[in-house]
Amino acid sequence: MATQQDEGDVPFSVAHDMQQFRLLELPPEIVELIESANPPALSIKSRVPSTTPNASNASAAHAVLCTANKTFQLRQVQTSNSLFVTQPVLESHNNEIPTPTTRAIASCAVTLELHPSDENPRIYLEEALPLYDIVDGEVEAAGNGKNKASIFADVPVSDGQAERCWSELVAFEFSGSSYRPSANTLSQIWKSINAAAVAEGIKLDSQFLADDMTKVADEEGYPVALVQALLKRRLSTDNQDINGPWACLDRPRTVQFVGQMLLEARRESDDYLTAGFLDTWKDGLPEAWRGDAVLKVIDGKYELPSSTTIRAKARSGTSSKEDNTASKGSSSRKWHAKFGRARKK
Amino acid sequence: MPTIPLHPPNSHSTTNPTANLNPLPPLLHTPTGLALLELQGTIHFPTPADPSTSPFTRIGTLVFPLYNPEINGAEDTKWMKRVYLYVGENQRLAGEVKKLGKGFAVVRRRERVGDGEEMEGVEREDADGDMVDRGQGTQEELEIVELVKYKIVFSTRPEPVSKDGAVV
Repeated sequence: MATQQDEGDVPFSVAHDMQQFRLLELPPEIVELIESANPPALSIKSRVPSTTPNASNASAAHAVLCTANKTFQLRQVQTSNSLFVTQPVLESHNNEIPTPTTRAIASCAVTLELHPSDENPRIYLEEALPLYDIVDGEVEAAGNGKNKASIFADVPVSDGQAERCWSELVAFEFSGSSYRPSANTLSQIWKSINAAAVAEGIKLDSQFLADDMTKVADEEGYPVALVQALLKRRLSTDNQDINGPWACLDRPRTVQFVGQMLLEARRESDDYLTAGFLDTWKDGLPEAWRGDAVLKVIDGKYELPSSTTIRAKARSGTSSKEDNTASKGSSSRKWHAKFGRARKK
Repeated sequence: MPTIPLHPPNSHSTTNPTANLNPLPPLLHTPTGLALLELQGTIHFPTPADPSTSPFTRIGTLVFPLYNPEINGAEDTKWMKRVYLYVGENQRLAGEVKKLGKGFAVVRRRERVGDGEEMEGVEREDADGDMVDRGQGTQEELEIVELVKYKIVFSTRPEPVSKDGAVV
């Protein structure tokens, strides 16, 4: 090609009409995803500003990039250099013959970095999901009018991580809203299921028809979706088909869950006797499982405020308000013990 | 809407018709022809008299003095160590071609139009450069236009040269 340049010389120009691009620095695993034969859809999520009353600019700070099951925090990086995006164009300068030119078409003062985030979506889901509680047979729950999909859209983690947490909380959709059941409600439902299983002679840790159990729970006024969420997701063995008619409970997982819910339901009280708790726990399990109910199973989930009493361990970090006030009340009394513990470390 | 889809690069998208005229060494080529060029400071040039007739300003010339695939073979990468940008008649910036530790995605906003088949390019009135925290507006979507793995960097100040290119 005849040009007026020396061979290899590339004319460089700057467009007057700059376009808007953003530069996103990608970790290798995302590059791999994007370059795969069928690149998956990615999304950028941020928290709804209205849910964070005293953090007006939190939405920008909380923007994340999500793959199917991973979350990356977006961080803005300023550069004092000029960083141009260039494009090849055929350009004629001063009525010369048009020559291939590299033209800057965008200037990026800010680039975005991605940092893997393992933030637990639990606090977001707990905030978004109203509590479904049953007190003296009366349902106490204020619907939020949101389905699971619209809640996930507002949670700044990947759908995969949100889904796992949703199952963990035994969250469920019920007549146009989504809820998370209280520990007390879960304990009650479990009681019904266990009683029904004993009556029908069903072994819960082998295959059984989920409908048999949901029917019983339905007659007692529990939402079917909630019972299904409990039996087919939260307590189920991992290889169970969620959509099939069968259910099979994971025995260690169920034993742990029952113990934990008992403790959670009594979170407010300060005088739960360890011996009494262990008895109730054992009684709440199928006969053959009684021996499984030992404190080791709920390791890390409880603390012993005295030699004879037990309570659910205060959750670390930002948890729901009632937990905060509860733990504040008890910890302020023992601030010296707390300091002593910190010093030992 | 707090969730904004970020579409992967469209493999069968209309590649830039001028991409095959890309004057840069092939290493710097991408399907759309987009590349990255970084330099210290800012480029100043006189405001164009009439932007409609002159949509660009010629700044200078990029020279890859060591790039010579006929002699060194196409695999040679030593040429990456030296790039010059001659600005005007007597300034020169020395730089290099760097492989980026992490690839850069070039992202832009795309608006959904009509049946979703036709995608518009970049809209000027939307070009506030603010893609993350814009809460309102139409169905906002982003797309990765290109994945760039190299950049040309000029990290030193310009040095004066005489007209024939020799350092003064």
